[in-house]
Amino acid sequence: MEASKTGDCLFSLHLKNCTKATTTLRSPLQKPQLAEVRGGDFLSNFQPHTFEYPKNLVKRTFLSFHTPPLVNRPPPRKQRVQPAKPTWDDQLFLEFIKLPISLFQQIAKSVKMAAQAKHDWADDDDLDELTTADLPPPQKIQNKDGSTTIIEYRYNDQNQKVKTTRRIRYITHREVVNPRVAERKAWAKFGQSAKDGAGPAPDTTSVGENIIFRPSINWKKDAKDESKDPNAQAMKDKLKDKKVKCRICNGEHFTARCPYKDTMAPIGEAAGADVAAGMGDDAGAGGAGPGGAGAPGAGKKGSYVPPALRGAGGAAGAGAGERMGGKYGERDDLATLRVTNVSEMAEENELRDMFERFGRVTRVFLAKDRDTGLAKGFAFISFADRGDAVKACAKMDGFGFRHLILRVEFAKKAA
Amino acid sequence: MRPILLSGHERALTQVKYNREGDLLFSTAKDQHICAWFAHNGERLGTYQGHQGAIWTVDVDPTSTIIASGSADNTIRLWEVKTGKLLKTWDFPTAVKRVEFNEDGTKLLGVTEKRMGHLGTIVVLDIKVDPEAEQSDEKVLTIVCEESKATVAGWSYLSKYIIAGHEDGSVSQYDGKTGDLIYNVNVHELGSPITDLQWNQDRTYFITASKDKTAKLITAKELEVLKTYAADTPLNSAAITPKKEYVILGGGQAAMDVTTTSARQGKFEARFYHKIFEEEIGRVRGHFGPLNTVAADPTGKGYASGGEDGYVRVHQFDKGYFDFNYEVERERLNRLAAQSGK
Repeated sequence: MEASKTGDCLFSLHLKNCTKATTTLRSPLQKPQLAEVRGGDFLSNFQPHTFEYPKNLVKRTFLSFHTPPLVNRPPPRKQRVQPAKPTWDDQLFLEFIKLPISLFQQIAKSVKMAAQAKHDWADDDDLDELTTADLPPPQKIQNKDGSTTIIEYRYNDQNQKVKTTRRIRYITHREVVNPRVAERKAWAKFGQSAKDGAGPAPDTTSVGENIIFRPSINWKKDAKDESKDPNAQAMKDKLKDKKVKCRICNGEHFTARCPYKDTMAPIGEAAGADVAAGMGDDAGAGGAGPGGAGAPGAGKKGSYVPPALRGAGGAAGAGAGERMGGKYGERDDLATLRVTNVSEMAEENELRDMFERFGRVTRVFLAKDRDTGLAKGFAFISFADRGDAVKACAKMDGFGFRHLILRVEFAKKAA
Repeated sequence: MRPILLSGHERALTQVKYNREGDLLFSTAKDQHICAWFAHNGERLGTYQGHQGAIWTVDVDPTSTIIASGSADNTIRLWEVKTGKLLKTWDFPTAVKRVEFNEDGTKLLGVTEKRMGHLGTIVVLDIKVDPEAEQSDEKVLTIVCEESKATVAGWSYLSKYIIAGHEDGSVSQYDGKTGDLIYNVNVHELGSPITDLQWNQDRTYFITASKDKTAKLITAKELEVLKTYAADTPLNSAAITPKKEYVILGGGQAAMDVTTTSARQGKFEARFYHKIFEEEIGRVRGHFGPLNTVAADPTGKGYASGGEDGYVRVHQFDKGYFDFNYEVERERLNRLAAQSGK
């Protein structure tokens, strides 16, 4: 259909009855094109053109309100009985709050096209069939992980059949509320909201984009700038009391200005390489330093070191330059334990509590399933001190935790 | 967290306020109505119509029966929360910049502007917390601020003191009954006005925000500065969070300079500081104008902020907010847990 609109498709042939037809398609640029179309496959041939993401679906994609967090609330002693008839609150709940968790999916597919702008009389039968054809009944499928897949069909404005697949999970969130608060919820609206129906009115209330807010001690907005600045500063300091030195005669002038430029070769290959590394005469020592640390890139941050020189400078350090990304390279893997066979129901806090007995824990990472929020069964615990880690490894290996026997070993570096 | 955006106002927000249970949220702006919202889903309960000028301030009594509002039309008005009915209007010679109920809702203070030959005053009115009752016309108390006008004021615990923040950056303590000045302490930089004053839950100490880019935690009794939170932008509002030991600061480039700065430079973010350690622990962005007002949910589950951009953003905290602890706090919790276990 899209093709017929924009491409200005001129059909003079009745495609239905012929097996092969050649039509002239005029593209928007008015360039005549030849296209070969098989009569029987006409629809399928043009489907890519007709695919159109239904506009009204976009509205429905982000209907997720956040329920108040469940933490820090004493376990409810008396549970409010769910009313048989849904009140406005519950309706709202059904519509919004029942968290379509992060895996809220919507796939829209225009199944078949219909109602062409310039349709042929011969297609009329088809059209009637399409508009009157019953839509398949909506389907509800219970998934294994507790979520529900709902498949619905409908016609959109352009009379296209649209299939909507949504995967949602219902979380019933019960809360004991103050009777006064409950009473206030039933108050009638007034003023400018007097005519609004139950639930939040779309003209006054909307939901913003998700914000990740995680308090942390070393939070600094300009942390990035600061991490750059010291490097730049260090470089400046280094260069401050450095004098210009000629590579040919060691005089205090640029090499290019050397009077012996044409008559003498540079002093040695090694010295030349050092200067190329951008570190001047102490590059020999500097090259060995970061090389020993195994991460030459981290040592001379900010200056590019070609791979060839990286190998030469870091010859002492094994596998120099293999590790990428200074961010993860800085983490001290020596005192990190890998814990496997962790229960699905485990929480990071529990692990922290268990391992904090042996010393200061700097990091606890519990791998969780993105969809279900359940633990995947392994975790990493970093200690501040390797001695503590050794102790913890010895003590916690084989420890029974939530009906499972933990296996604790030192984490290996990622290959 | 996914904030709820409330767009019930056409102009810059001036104050947002939670009621005692934290289920209702009241917002005022420079347009001429007050909005009441359900805090949990952002549904608007209604609007209070009647003011003839920008509304600067609103407060709700502890039982959530009545609200008081102060406006640039030189009135304080009393409204019934449930129906939006206007109960009473008090007229003043100048605009009213701040109203606040005392702890039991029997008294209301109002801060009036210094203008047109009138000095700034703090007035106290007797209130009957009953929509049917006849409210008295009389002002129980009038405190005239001769030196520097008061910009904000509030009732301390047991309505013992009235604490006022002034335009020159000082804080003064008045006797709650007689209105006598007890102390006047310069806490903020001289000449930078105090823009907000909010209490902790038992009203024994409060936080002030000032244009001098700092917020201070001050005791009500001695006016002793306990903590100072330094920000990098002029502050318009500060709130103390219940449950967790944080404070929320809101501010940003002054509204008149906004057009000359980009949204990133404008620093239109709510800043979270640890109340005890005075360290910044995070920011929440979202507004595209300076934050004029922030309010912490009394249940500790969220906070709301109102900006110059005309939006109120209501946030419900995630788990990470509640889980965050300093090393020392965690150690203390562990110790306590170990003790109770024994």
